[in-house]
Amino acid sequence: MAAINESTQQPVQQRNLSKRLQDMILSQEGILFIILVITIIILSNSNANFLTSQNLFNQGRLLAEVGLIALPMTFIIITGGIDLSVGSILGLSAILVGYTWNNLGLPLEAAIVVALLVSCVAGFLNGLIIVRVNVPPLIMTLATLAFYRGLAQGISEARSVTGYPEWFFGLGQGTILGIPTQLVILGIAIIISGIVLARTTFGRTLYAIGNNMVGARYSGLPVERVTLAIYTFSGLMAGISGVIFVSRFTTTRSDMGSGLELDAIAAVVLGGTSIFGGKGSIIGTVIGLVMIQLLRNGMAINNITSDATIVVIGSVLIFAILVNNLIQRLRTAE
Amino acid sequence: MTASMTSAKPVSARFSPIVLLPLLLALAVFIAFQFLPFVNQPELGATTIPVLTESRSNNEVGVPTNGLILIPIASGVLLLLGIWNLSNVQMIRATSAITVLVGVLVLEYFVIFAMDYSGEQSTYLGSMGIGFWALLILAFLMIVQVFLPRAAADREFQLRSLISNQESAIAIALVVLILVIGTSNPRFVSTNNILDVLQGNAYIAVAAIGMSMVIITGNIDISVGSLIGLLAIISGRLVVSGAPVWVAWLAPLFIGAAIGALIGVLVAYLRVPAIVVTLGMFSILKGVLIIWTNGQRVTDMPPDFYLAQMRPLGISMPIWFMIILTILAAIWMRYSGLGRALYAVGGNAEAARLSGISQQRVVLQVFMINGFFAGIASVLYATQLNIIQATPPPALELAIITSAVVGGVSILGGKGTVIGAMLAAILLNAIRSGMIFINVSPFWIQAVQGILILVTVLIDLLRRRRQAV
Repeated sequence: MAAINESTQQPVQQRNLSKRLQDMILSQEGILFIILVITIIILSNSNANFLTSQNLFNQGRLLAEVGLIALPMTFIIITGGIDLSVGSILGLSAILVGYTWNNLGLPLEAAIVVALLVSCVAGFLNGLIIVRVNVPPLIMTLATLAFYRGLAQGISEARSVTGYPEWFFGLGQGTILGIPTQLVILGIAIIISGIVLARTTFGRTLYAIGNNMVGARYSGLPVERVTLAIYTFSGLMAGISGVIFVSRFTTTRSDMGSGLELDAIAAVVLGGTSIFGGKGSIIGTVIGLVMIQLLRNGMAINNITSDATIVVIGSVLIFAILVNNLIQRLRTAE
Repeated sequence: MTASMTSAKPVSARFSPIVLLPLLLALAVFIAFQFLPFVNQPELGATTIPVLTESRSNNEVGVPTNGLILIPIASGVLLLLGIWNLSNVQMIRATSAITVLVGVLVLEYFVIFAMDYSGEQSTYLGSMGIGFWALLILAFLMIVQVFLPRAAADREFQLRSLISNQESAIAIALVVLILVIGTSNPRFVSTNNILDVLQGNAYIAVAAIGMSMVIITGNIDISVGSLIGLLAIISGRLVVSGAPVWVAWLAPLFIGAAIGALIGVLVAYLRVPAIVVTLGMFSILKGVLIIWTNGQRVTDMPPDFYLAQMRPLGISMPIWFMIILTILAAIWMRYSGLGRALYAVGGNAEAARLSGISQQRVVLQVFMINGFFAGIASVLYATQLNIIQATPPPALELAIITSAVVGGVSILGGKGTVIGAMLAAILLNAIRSGMIFINVSPFWIQAVQGILILVTVLIDLLRRRRQAV
């Protein structure tokens, strides 16, 4: 295919600087970045409260949970898969923290470990059946979307758990060096995922699977192991997200995180990751995430109701992909 | 193509220790049964099946009753592992068959326990035996199917063809479910309840007709839940503002088709993937709905507006719509040019193009049809109660997609029928209703539904693979 992302292409021939610059700007990430900068300029001109560290950090808190889920989602979508069950795993993890701590009497640290372990198992189960039985990921995770949410409902019996110890709220409400805790976690996760995706054999294997799975298998790549790993990773991140969610909301409810999978997918797709696989980057996902959150926030502080924002976000999603399609098609036509 | 895909998996002759896992699990469950407080309770009836008791006096080991939750989970795991192993070439089939059987048995124990725990009449325990044997027979059929040689005698072939398509598999599941729950609680099979079961998901089944067609062409529509909510409000507002009732009934159909056309243009002509377009539309329609209604419900509709509450010949309107539309759609998809084109585009787009089918036009049309059916579904949804909620039921689109997929419509395109989708929609509602009748805690219903969806999909997939080999 001609439309291979610059990061997947080997620098076979030496290209001059202006050509490379043009490529960079005209890639999906480049276009998005420009749109993002324009959005920030417009929003900061329209309201003085927008570009304050206070506001931006608050937005960072809201973004962290979706962000943590969107990172493994990028991996999965690059391989041509999808994980719809993450919102439910988040809910299950949140419920398990409350249940094991409150009803089973475990210390809260152990409860968190249990929740994260179960989240890993949930992700692993997705991966196992996708790999072993060749169930299409969309169907498998659609089924577990119902199943994991059902488990959360069954375990909690619609009762919420509150009254957590004070230290636990540091995770979702506290700061490290003046930066919200979960934003630090997200930052570390972004850097690690970015390096893994772009610079390691593991990351390159994801692109290979997404471009041509059979080819990847015949090239001796551990397709099954890698697939298992990313779905397990997705479960783990959803679990961490769930714990942060509980800490931020100071309570657990079984419907936590429903619909979050669509937010995460929207951010990933907006960031230029092809839903058909083989193409995408962590930088793109981060820009997509920031873009959605800033749009939401920018409109909120300009007194546009939050319901109107989802209309805008939906339109931006379609429009961004549309524009990118046109540009990429024009470029390949050249 | 399918054959090459399965053979692409490198077949190693090495023995993988993971195949022993189900056997170990089965052993663990067996041992657990020895130690859990199961006792024979002859005073409860003529059953010889030991009953798990909760009373302290019988609970010698002191197992916490919280642990009981492990039983359905273990049985689910066993069932899944067994089914998974049936597909595994390295696996000894007898082992996997045993796993499936143990899973069925454990599940049955749990059902009995749930019955006993809920304080139902003791006679139900005796009749539960029928359900038990029905489950056993189902498991046996499944296992027999695996053992049958490919070129077998005619009679065996008939048996296999009985369960060789998803539609009849779901029909059988439905019958078994009604049998099992009906024997334990006769109220379940009363005419009124059966009609309720049929009606509950009828509008979902109608929407699933359009969704099946979209999925058959290899696309998907995530926005349909928001669309149904929006169209229902449009219908209600129209009739409240004084429009004739027939306008309020027909308007959603055409507005739905128009929105479908917009999606279709974006997908077919502007080449945006369907999942992205409909994900965007999902937000847009939902946002428009919330801004427009401002959380207000629609009430005070004129009495002749309530289409879904009419009962011609004693059967309510949604059931008529569901059955007649499904039959018409099934015939149309089988015999009309466009109907066949849907399968052609989804099955092999290149071959469809070479045989002169315009893929773009077919995709545009299928999204319009989908919007049209969403319109019909929205009218049925809007008229079933005396108020129209400001927001549609949560995850409605997932219920619709699930009906289509469980009904055997392949997400990869090119396979499936609307009859399967309708049966699946009924089955999902029957499970929900049945759970209530055997006193399963309502909090666990969704988990059980999730497992059943998973099992159905897995069985479907395994059967396809066996047929492909």
